[in-house]
Amino acid sequence: MRIGMKKISINTEMPAYIPADADFCLKNNAGEIAIDNNFAAQSFWKEVILRYLRKISAVAGLILIILITIMAVVGPGMSGYSYSEQNLLQKNLAPRIPGFDQTGFFDGSEEMHTTTGTKKINYYVENKLDHVYYWFGSDNFGRDIWTRTWSGARVSLIIAVAAAVIDMVIGMSYGLISGYFGGKVDMIMQRILEIVNGIPRLVIVTLLLLILQPGMVTIVIALMITEWVGMSRIARAEMLKLKEQEFVLASRTLGAGSFFIIFKEVLPNIIGPIITQVMFSIPTAIFTEAFLSFVGLGIPVPQCSLGSLISEGFNSFTTHPYQIVPPIIVMALLMLSFNLAADGLREALDPKLKEV
Amino acid sequence: MKKYIIKRIITSLFTLLAILLILFILMQLMPGSPFNDEKLNNDQRAALFAKYGLDQPVVIQFFKYVLNMLRGDFGVSYNISKNTPIAQLIQTRLPISIAIGGAAVALGALVGLILGLTAAIWHDTIWDTIATIISVIGVSVPSYVFALGLSYQFGFQWRIFPMLFSAKQMVSSSVLPSIALSMFTMASIARFTRSEMLEVLGSDYMLLAESKGISGPALIFRHALRNALIPIITVLAPLIVDLMTGSLVVEKIFAIPGVGSLLVNAIQSNDYNVVIALSFIYSAMYIGIMLVVDILYGVIDPRIRLAKSEA
Repeated sequence: MRIGMKKISINTEMPAYIPADADFCLKNNAGEIAIDNNFAAQSFWKEVILRYLRKISAVAGLILIILITIMAVVGPGMSGYSYSEQNLLQKNLAPRIPGFDQTGFFDGSEEMHTTTGTKKINYYVENKLDHVYYWFGSDNFGRDIWTRTWSGARVSLIIAVAAAVIDMVIGMSYGLISGYFGGKVDMIMQRILEIVNGIPRLVIVTLLLLILQPGMVTIVIALMITEWVGMSRIARAEMLKLKEQEFVLASRTLGAGSFFIIFKEVLPNIIGPIITQVMFSIPTAIFTEAFLSFVGLGIPVPQCSLGSLISEGFNSFTTHPYQIVPPIIVMALLMLSFNLAADGLREALDPKLKEV
Repeated sequence: MKKYIIKRIITSLFTLLAILLILFILMQLMPGSPFNDEKLNNDQRAALFAKYGLDQPVVIQFFKYVLNMLRGDFGVSYNISKNTPIAQLIQTRLPISIAIGGAAVALGALVGLILGLTAAIWHDTIWDTIATIISVIGVSVPSYVFALGLSYQFGFQWRIFPMLFSAKQMVSSSVLPSIALSMFTMASIARFTRSEMLEVLGSDYMLLAESKGISGPALIFRHALRNALIPIITVLAPLIVDLMTGSLVVEKIFAIPGVGSLLVNAIQSNDYNVVIALSFIYSAMYIGIMLVVDILYGVIDPRIRLAKSEA
């Protein structure tokens, strides 16, 4: 219309244009308008969940964690064997699953390497164990590897989660208190932390295990002593960022005490980075436990963890490789999935954060 | 800068002293005494105590202990090889561990840098995805799983490299342990290089360099990588320390006569003296590496140097 008006103003000889009704019609731009709709205000956690679900690797990690946890709970009861039941007549049997007898794998046969070459042996057939099935095979004492793998996963998970939660409580409190009070308190607490951090984790764990009896509690204590430092650093840094903000000042003006401000006002605001750190410390704990078991400082027999299973399987891993494969795969998957889930969570909680 | 270095050195010394104190207390708590022989009467026992300075106050004993440890006199081994001075045991083993650890660090750092650079330069392409997957696996899977896998596949199945370490074939038998140890370093360096490079590549001075007509390798290596390397050096230090833990298991798997396997043996046979001596050596190495890296970091990066000297 404006162009038409311009023409009129330039060329005055033309008769004035009288707009007709047909000139006016709807633009039919419903598509453009639709873009400009309003979102309902979403809560912080709802947005976090949405961002998390958008990342495939993070979701895959979470699903794996859930699957392994479920298997760690129900797995040991599935095969009908117990984790400590020994049957010396049925030792070192290769994996055999019902229904796979004709397929060529999981049929109970294994390759033996001898000086003259390799040959295929099926001990189930040789020893006439027709209705015996060990899904993952049996170990050197005739124990079911399926049951042992999942009960090992259970022990490893319990240790890791317990250690991570205790670390969180200790490290978080230490960091928050150190950061909030500042000054001399902070100075002294940070010097202590520097000294503790200066001692290699390996040394602390080894020395601790010299004094205490090996076992689940000892491993949790060892992990607790070594892992809280990282958590406390994060908590302190977050506290330093937040304590100058207005809401803290407001709370203090209203008469709140120091500990109320630390745990009721600041803590809920830094829960994101803390949870991420917990997620990252779980694979570290699983690894440390496995490492200790491998060195011989882990869970006492007949109990087992993933680490002790790998350590046992290592003794015969050239002759019976199937014995070491299940615990290794479960552990690698567990660590991988926790790392993926933690990565995703970190990005979901803080989208501005650069990837590391 | 000077003030900063002195402060760091003093902190390190205090840490070392704290460790020595802990070790000393542990020694006191250990059950048993070296002179538990029932044939000794009280006078003889007192004479022996006097000879070894055990009748003196604990504080003086502690200082003597500290002096001995710092001089490298760690006492003798009880179980592993009876009455051999521990210093002698360690002397032959330390070079082997350091050689393999060094090879692992060098390999890990090099491959990690290449992977990280690839991922950053060809950002959001298939190369980036491949490099990311490799580094996630490398960070997540423990080094001894790699060690077992490599040893089974290359050592046992294909027989390319020896399964066990032997002094005769020093080089070829160190290949597998070095690779297994380097995986974690490699993966961490790759992840870190990628994120640092992406940040540097997006910075204003890179745009300036590019608009001045610099391109190709000169742009990447001279201008981008040099700036990205500074933070990478800081992560290398904790990684070297992590190698110590990894080396324990890897040395056991490949039967390497290094310090790590000595520690494992000592733990398993309750040879307290050896455990404590090795704990001290590990701690001293750890503290030393951290100190050097912290100082180096200040030297390399002028921004940190200036900030620290002002503070």
